[in-house]
Amino acid sequence: MFLFLAIWAGESSAQTCALTLSGHAEDLDTREKLAAATVKLQETGQQVLTDQNGDFRFTNLCPGTYTLEITHVSCDLQTKRIVLSRDQHLDLLLPHARKTLGEIVVESQQPKPAGRQQITARDMEETRGKTLAEALSRINGVTLLQTGSTISKPVIHGLHSSRLLTINNGVRQEGQQWGNEHAPEIDPFIAGKLSVVKGVDELRYGSDAIGGVILVEPRPLRDQPGYAAELNTGYFTNNRQYVMSGVWEQQLKKVPAFRYRLQGTFRQGGNINTPDYRLNNTASREANFSVTAGWKKEKFNTEVFYSQFNTKIGIFPGSHIGNLTDLLNAINAEKPDPVFLGQQTYAINRPFQQVSHQLAKIKSGFSLGEHKFTLSVAGQFNHREEYDIVRSSSNTRPQLDLSIATFTEDLSWEHPRIGNFTGVAGVSFMQQDNSYSGRYFIPNYFSHTIGAYALEKWRKHKWELQAGVRYDAKNIDTRRLKFNGDTLDYNFSFSTLAASVQAQYRPSTPWSIQTGISLSTRAPYVNELLSDGIHHGTATYERGNIFLRPERSLNSTAGLRYDAPSKKFSADWQVYANYIHDFIYQQPRPDEPVLTIAGAFPLIEYTQTNALLYGTDLALTAKILPRLEWEGKLSILYAKDRSRNDWLIWMPSNRYTNELTYQFKDKGRWKDSYISASWQHVDRQRRMPDETNGKQDYKAPPAAYDLIALNASTTVKVGSVPMTFGIGVQNLLNTRYRDYLNSMRYFTDEQGRNIGFRLRVPINSSNKQ
Amino acid sequence: MKKQLMKIAFAAFATGLVLTSCKKDKNETETNDEEVITTMKLTFVPVGGGTTLTYQFEDADGPGGLAPVQQDILLAPSKTYNVSVQLLNVTANPVDDITTEIQAEKEAHRFYYIPAAGSNITVSNLDNDDNGVPVGLTSTWTTTAAATGSIRVVLRHYPGNPPGKAAADAVDSPKSGTDIEVNFVTRVQ
Repeated sequence: MFLFLAIWAGESSAQTCALTLSGHAEDLDTREKLAAATVKLQETGQQVLTDQNGDFRFTNLCPGTYTLEITHVSCDLQTKRIVLSRDQHLDLLLPHARKTLGEIVVESQQPKPAGRQQITARDMEETRGKTLAEALSRINGVTLLQTGSTISKPVIHGLHSSRLLTINNGVRQEGQQWGNEHAPEIDPFIAGKLSVVKGVDELRYGSDAIGGVILVEPRPLRDQPGYAAELNTGYFTNNRQYVMSGVWEQQLKKVPAFRYRLQGTFRQGGNINTPDYRLNNTASREANFSVTAGWKKEKFNTEVFYSQFNTKIGIFPGSHIGNLTDLLNAINAEKPDPVFLGQQTYAINRPFQQVSHQLAKIKSGFSLGEHKFTLSVAGQFNHREEYDIVRSSSNTRPQLDLSIATFTEDLSWEHPRIGNFTGVAGVSFMQQDNSYSGRYFIPNYFSHTIGAYALEKWRKHKWELQAGVRYDAKNIDTRRLKFNGDTLDYNFSFSTLAASVQAQYRPSTPWSIQTGISLSTRAPYVNELLSDGIHHGTATYERGNIFLRPERSLNSTAGLRYDAPSKKFSADWQVYANYIHDFIYQQPRPDEPVLTIAGAFPLIEYTQTNALLYGTDLALTAKILPRLEWEGKLSILYAKDRSRNDWLIWMPSNRYTNELTYQFKDKGRWKDSYISASWQHVDRQRRMPDETNGKQDYKAPPAAYDLIALNASTTVKVGSVPMTFGIGVQNLLNTRYRDYLNSMRYFTDEQGRNIGFRLRVPINSSNKQ
Repeated sequence: MKKQLMKIAFAAFATGLVLTSCKKDKNETETNDEEVITTMKLTFVPVGGGTTLTYQFEDADGPGGLAPVQQDILLAPSKTYNVSVQLLNVTANPVDDITTEIQAEKEAHRFYYIPAAGSNITVSNLDNDDNGVPVGLTSTWTTTAAATGSIRVVLRHYPGNPPGKAAADAVDSPKSGTDIEVNFVTRVQ
């Protein structure tokens, strides 16, 4: 059913019992090659294991009918009947085993595909109830850009916002990602899998993935008749946050082609507590749901998906600034004024932001012979409102109101395996319509993008080579509405090219070496071209620049991986250097303050330079005792402004983490029990721009800090239901600290100790007897 | 069957392209009804008769764009003026008088008039809200000898509910935020 047949005739053999059956096994969802899968011929009892490329081979077979049985640790058993009359090759796609709904991905020792880093099942579980970005930051090299504790965005190797593409269930997320305080509008509970993709596979999604691609993938719909349900709940003590998320999914017995899923999440948190004081108006609320329905036949499948994300987030009022004098007063205060502190409530007042995001898509796949086609059509609607502190209490309007509607179509074609080649090509089309009311910050615009890409992969024995190319043409027509009825129009068109090559070599089982180089081009975003207004969070006057050119990056990466066959030790070492020509950034213009009725605001203007971001990520694991594992992670980044021979501002500082995990023996009803303690050290950012020619930042980077966290989890069978309990303590020692990449560092300390309790209850028709 | 599927798919894709490239020029009208204070006008009525004087700060297109136009305040020496302040939004049609709104929410607003040392101007007698705390929509300015200096005019508002405004609140009280801060050059001559 999930297997498609790629048969090409080998030489027809006249001899008896000299036939060869070869094949290749991949994970249906991740397309990871499945090493160490057991392939068995029932009739003869012959059994082989797939090698690290997922390949297997039986020789000297007699013509006849065989039943092929394939098992893999992370996949369900598959059987396949074949009639063998000549040499044959089989491509097997195995669906993931889903013993429980929450099983995200089974960590295995198989080699990772080049250019992809995936968050582990355990990290995913431990970050349940947190934001999407916090979950992603478990990946080495991913850090956070924050506005307080409730708004966070992922940063990959120093790059964020429009330099990262977020692919939500196969669709490029189009919200208002350009803003530093605009978090991704995605329910983290939708994700069955979270990964960061770099290199050739980026090209499927856009030519502008300078920092990489974040994939948010739901688990595939149910593949066995029956139903499954799962309930996730959590409570966090610091801000009395509770979260509930539920899933229901079913495959109908009578109509096995039809399957569906309903999913919903509600989350509410009160005001955040720092070690010394509680911050007023930092509560948040989130309510999301999604519906998926699918129809799957051997040659044709289609899936309809709809999701809605709604959030309301309070902003700490002590950071909301009327003018520069107010800002400097607030920044220079040792701690926020008592009028902004001390309330314990779930209420949200001005200033706050309210965001909703809807996504609807239809994705269909069909096979024509050995060719596979996928067509995806999606519509997204994002509505973002920002409510500032206003002078008049009768004003109930939002001060910033942006609506963006996006329509995307993607068609891809996967050609049959030819020798050792596989490949995919596609075209994509996007159109987008943005409109605003309230304060001007970015104009109304209409844009459309047409792109095409092709990628090929070749693999043989120890080698895997990949190459790809993509081209996009983008038009943006903008219109600003002036108060007197005038309009101000600017039209832009950009063409962007991207290309990538990658190689992976596995000299022997434990070793893997990988290297690649990628060219990406990103057209300037509308805010970079045309923003014009006061940014209240920073009391700056932000001005765009219509003369910006697309920025081009050349990112070279190299990696070395070692997995000891004894599983006692592993190492993953990555180095990278990303040269970005015409890097777009905000340059303070201290000599040109903008005078307004509220006083003078410092001007910052978008401008371009040549940047070089280079660094390294290292991850090591070692089994100290049979049940005690140590994991160490180190992440170092240098971000240079090459044109001015200076450092770039707002870049994550160096950090390392040490973690010890003790895994208990499974005992009776108790399974997968562990306790762990981790210690993270984040260095002070010592590399910031030189300020001799004018102020670049209001405050020097905060001091280095150390955080201790504890985690414990166990799964216990209650009746036939394996319930998972977890406890996590963040900031165990209630350390007072501020982070360089949190814009609230000017005003407040970070969140204090936070104890989280989690419970997961999976129920399905197979564990209910 | 397969061919049909293909055809359907491509047809869908193509119609998508056509459909979506048609809608473009919609007729947008001005939707920006957000409050902008463009103008602060100070009216000086000399005590004991004389010509009424008005001086203003005006940023006719709001923040950004064209630079604001700011007049110097010219006053006669050794004279007392009854001063009233008016705030306008001239981007609105008809022009919006924001003073009336402040009048209605006096408890949540406060003007401060802070002359620089040596300007030879003193400001007193600010009008009060219903709780007896100064608002400063009207005030009395007294000049002495001729001098050139400056005066800072600040409007603060209290977002709290209740506003918690108190007579002792300094101009940079964290309870209130700045709506207006203008430095006028003053010439007593």
